[in-house]
This record gives sequence, C-alpha cells and structure tokens, in this order.
Amino acid sequence: MSLIEINDLKVHYPIRGGFWNRIVDNVKAVDGVTFNIEAGETYGLVGESGSGKSTTAKAIIGLEKATAGTVMYNGKDVTKAENRRKLDYNRDVQMIFQDSLSSLNPRKRIEDVIAEPLRNFEHLDKEEEKLRVLQLLDIVGLDADALYKYPHQFSGGQRQRIGVARAVATHPKLIIADEPVSALDLSVQAQVLNFMKKIQRQFGISYLFISHDLGVVRHMCKNIAIMTRGRIVEVGTREDIYNNPMHIYTKRLLAAIPETNVNHREAHRKHRLEIEKIYQEQQATYYDQDGMAFPLVKVSPTHSVALPPELAKKFEQQSESKGVNV
Amino acid sequence: MKRDIADATSISKEDLAKLTKEANEEATPSRMKIMWGEFKADKPALVSLFLLVFFILFVIIASEFIDVPKMMETNIMGYYNKPFSSDYWLGADAGGRSIAKELVVGSRNSISIAIGLTIISSTFGICWGLVSGYFGGMVDLAMQRVYDFMMIIPMLMTIIVIVTIIPHYNAITLTLILSIFYWMGTSRLIRSRTLAESQKDYVAASKTSGTSNFKIIFREIMPNISSLIIVDTTLSFAENIGVETGLSFLGFGLPMGTPSLGTLIANANDPENITQYWWTWLPAAIEIIILCLSISYIGQVMRRTTNAAQRRGQDQK
Repeated sequence: MSLIEINDLKVHYPIRGGFWNRIVDNVKAVDGVTFNIEAGETYGLVGESGSGKSTTAKAIIGLEKATAGTVMYNGKDVTKAENRRKLDYNRDVQMIFQDSLSSLNPRKRIEDVIAEPLRNFEHLDKEEEKLRVLQLLDIVGLDADALYKYPHQFSGGQRQRIGVARAVATHPKLIIADEPVSALDLSVQAQVLNFMKKIQRQFGISYLFISHDLGVVRHMCKNIAIMTRGRIVEVGTREDIYNNPMHIYTKRLLAAIPETNVNHREAHRKHRLEIEKIYQEQQATYYDQDGMAFPLVKVSPTHSVALPPELAKKFEQQSESKGVNV
Repeated sequence: MKRDIADATSISKEDLAKLTKEANEEATPSRMKIMWGEFKADKPALVSLFLLVFFILFVIIASEFIDVPKMMETNIMGYYNKPFSSDYWLGADAGGRSIAKELVVGSRNSISIAIGLTIISSTFGICWGLVSGYFGGMVDLAMQRVYDFMMIIPMLMTIIVIVTIIPHYNAITLTLILSIFYWMGTSRLIRSRTLAESQKDYVAASKTSGTSNFKIIFREIMPNISSLIIVDTTLSFAENIGVETGLSFLGFGLPMGTPSLGTLIANANDPENITQYWWTWLPAAIEIIILCLSISYIGQVMRRTTNAAQRRGQDQK
C-alpha cells in the first residue's frame, strides 16, 4: 500500500460577482489530480507557475480546503480536519516552504522555531527539548550558536536548512517540499538538496518534491508528474519523462532546460523552436475546447500520458494487439 | 523514533551545557535593551520618559495626602487669590479652592481614567481585530458589521446621554462607559495588519506544525504586529487623556465635586477668567500639552525600537 493516495483531488475557487455576489464561475486551480506516494521515495511534481502544484501540496497537507476528491492516509481521508486531528496527521506530514524568510516567524528565536512541532506533538521536558533542537541543528549542519538568534541573521541557505530541521523535528513520514530551493542560488541549492537527500537516507522519509526546475527534479526524484492548468498531463518514472516524453507540454518543458554546451548553441536553438512550433500547431488537439488536458492513458506500466482521444484509441489498439497488459 | 535523530548526530547530553553557553554568548540583545539604547540616543524622549513617569507617580502619591472633600469646600476668603502665595501656590478659583491641589487630584483622576480606558479599549480592540482578521470569511463579516454599527453611533452624544441617565456614577463606571466607544479605531488598524500577516508562510508553517489557532493568533501573529500595538497604544493614551478632559470640559465627565483637568480648563469658559484670572486654567492647559508631547516623543522611540531601519541607538549587535 502506498504511503499516501491522492484521488481525483479538486480545489476550485469561486468567482463571485453580479447581483447578490453570486458565484458566477470557478477557478479550477486543481482539477482532478490522482497519484500515489510510496514510502521512502521522492515524488516530483513539476509544472509552470500557476499550474496548481502548490495548491495541490496545500490541499494534501490541509492548508487549503479540497473541493472534491480524497487524500487517503492510513485508511482515513485527511481532507477532513477531524481526521487530521485524530491521526496526528501533521506530526507525520510536514512541509518545507519556498520562501525561507517568511516561513520562519521573524519574532521567534531559532530554538522556538524548531521546537514548535516538538511542543505540539512530543511533550519533552526543557532539557530534552533543547538537546533535540541542538541535534537537529547539527543534522542540517548548523552550529549551536544559532540557538538564540533570529531568522533574519541567517543567509538564505541557512534559513532553508532551519526550515528542513523544523520539518524533520517530529520525525515525519512525508515532507512536502514546495519549491524548497528555487529562491536560492545554485551552489546553495546543491547544499540544501544534499542535506535533504542525506536526511531521507537516514530517516526513510518520503518527499513530495514540487519544482519547476527540471534539472533539480532529475537529481532528486524517481517518479515524476507533470502538471499544467490544474491537471496532470504526464506521469512516469524519471526515465519515462526524460527519455520518452509524449505530451507536447512535457516536450516543451524539457526543451526549455538551459544547455551549457555552447558548441551546439545553434542546434539547441533550432530544436527548441521546432518543439515550440509543434506545440503551437498541436495545442488544439492536445487540449479540449476549454483548454483542459485530457484524461490520462497508460502507454506503459509506469508511464501515463494525457493523450487526445484519437491518439489514445490508437494506443489502446496497439497495446491490445501487442498483448501488453495495461 | 527518538533514537533516530540522536543517532544521526554526535551531540549528546554531555554537550548540552557547553553548547547552551556558546549559544548564549551569540544571542541577540533583548528588546528591552534595544529600547533603552534608543531612549539614550534620543535625549528629548529620555527627558519625556522621566517627566511622565515622575509626574504620574507624583500625582498619584501626592493626592493620597490631600483631603478631597475638604479641598473642594468653598472658602470665601480665598476668592480668586493670586498665585505664588504661601497658602495658594497656584492661586485659587472663584470658590477659593487651591488650584495647585485641584491640579494634583484632577491630574490623578484624568490620568487614571486615561490609563484605564487605554488598557480596556486597546485590549478589546486588539483581540477583536486579531480574531476578525485571522479567521476571515463569515467570522470577519459578522465582526465587522458589529464594528460598523458601533461606528455609526454618534459617540459623544451617546456618552452624554448615558452619563445623564445613570444616577450614580464614578470614575470606574465612566471609564467603562467610555471603553465601549473607543475600541473601534484600534480594532480596524489591527485587523488590517492581521489580514496581511495571517497570509504569511510562517502562519502556514505553524498550522502544519499542529499549533492551535488561539496560539497562532496570540503567540505568533501578535508579537509580529507588536510595533503597531505599542505605537497605537501610546498614542491612544495621549488621545484618551483628551477624551475625559473634553467631556469634563463640557460638564458631562466626572460627577460634580470631583476635580479633573477638564473642569479646570472649563474655567476658561468665562471671559473674565481668560483675561484676568489666568491661573485658574493655564496650569491645566500647559500640563495637558506637556503630557501629550511627552507621550508622542516616547511613542516615536517605541516605533524606532521596533523598526531596525530607523534606529539611532549605538549598540546594535
């Protein structure tokens, strides 16, 4: 059984207007997202800004109310606040935020910041608590003198490590990392990511890793889901996505990865423009009239793509003739 | 579970004391220290602080030694006695009552009411604003309609009516009556900041850490808007001195026979007093000016303490 199962999750925001402030329409921030996270793995959720990946994360952890769908954890639907309380859900599922500065209370010392989840879930005495905080600081590579300082006295990378330490404090099973390194420069990114990997190895934590940086995702994740306009357009293992992208959006996203090799600059540029041309041409077929992605179709046991109906039918016939069990 | 985190590091119980000491050496100075540094850097504010504290203590202690009923008795021999005499340091009014004594007791009354009013109305306003801004949605909607209702009531008229209807009232009931009408400004101010503050990530982080709403409001958000709270409270204290004074000036403040700064200033209603018997109203007027100036100086220092960019103090670590 998976650690956490997200099933047809929807988060819609009403648009109010007209007379009496009626609901005239909905913004479909997340519209029917389904995926599972296994224990101990890193699941990547990738998409452009506004694609609904952060909203998905917030709905999973309970910061955002889900309009429909379920998030099953330990056999309970944790989209209901009551179930979350019963399970001590937030002890097992923690979050790392994108903006490390604003995610740490500027008026609290680091000791209090990291001890906050400890105080809520594990009632330790003062000495034990301080010891645990010091140990957590050591795990993320910070010295003891950080204990009584305030968040603004640290650099971005240090702050994000403090955020990691806080998330790890109660020894959670899943950490949702919402673009944890996108506000950091490259050298510090590597540092924070390596700490996250080290912690994963030591404690067997699963990550839901949200990012728009495909390079980082490749480094971190085994399974990846690509999201756009509130829906998942392609799901697969790292190899599926990077070596055999099938949705035009995924192809376009992959073509946008900057290339450092200057010798092939022209060739890359040409490739990019080609992909963009294909994207513009086929946009109408890959999205329905409302501009939404089609339902996912399995193209291999690990790989699903939101193909348009005609292509999907072709695939089904192919796989049937080949006798692949899909 | 506990073992896992302990296993991952080399830090154990033996290091705790040493590391705590290390951390203490690197600790940031506390807020009180910073505030004191700011006061030292701003001489007028320092003078104001001492003046205010000394004056408040003086009028509270000195008025204990004054027999108020006896003081308020009419003494025909002292009719508009000139100031700077041995019996009447600041002269006497039409009833032959010592202005100096009236000033001490009146200041005590006015300042006590202002302090009480500030504490009650600010506390209520802050709580109202915090809760309204934090929860938002229907809670906010309902609470803001109460606010709107209170706002449209003509404040001064209603207070005057209530004061005239109630047969027996004293300083405490007057403070309570005034408190009903003076929490709205604070609550609106606090609400607007809370709305912005509760959208920040650290609040989300607290929620995901399992902290209760009550704790988030008062332990997470409130310290972050403390700068606003301190400044607003200081300035509303200055304003509240004016509230009671103004009401007494109109004759609807404290009951008859109770001196206050307002009744002293009300002496200036008489044109003869303004021109000839200046000592009946001038000391009280000057006192109010000095008090309000001092408070606003202190308020400025408080604001600078909470805003690192404006600090003037030297020992910023």
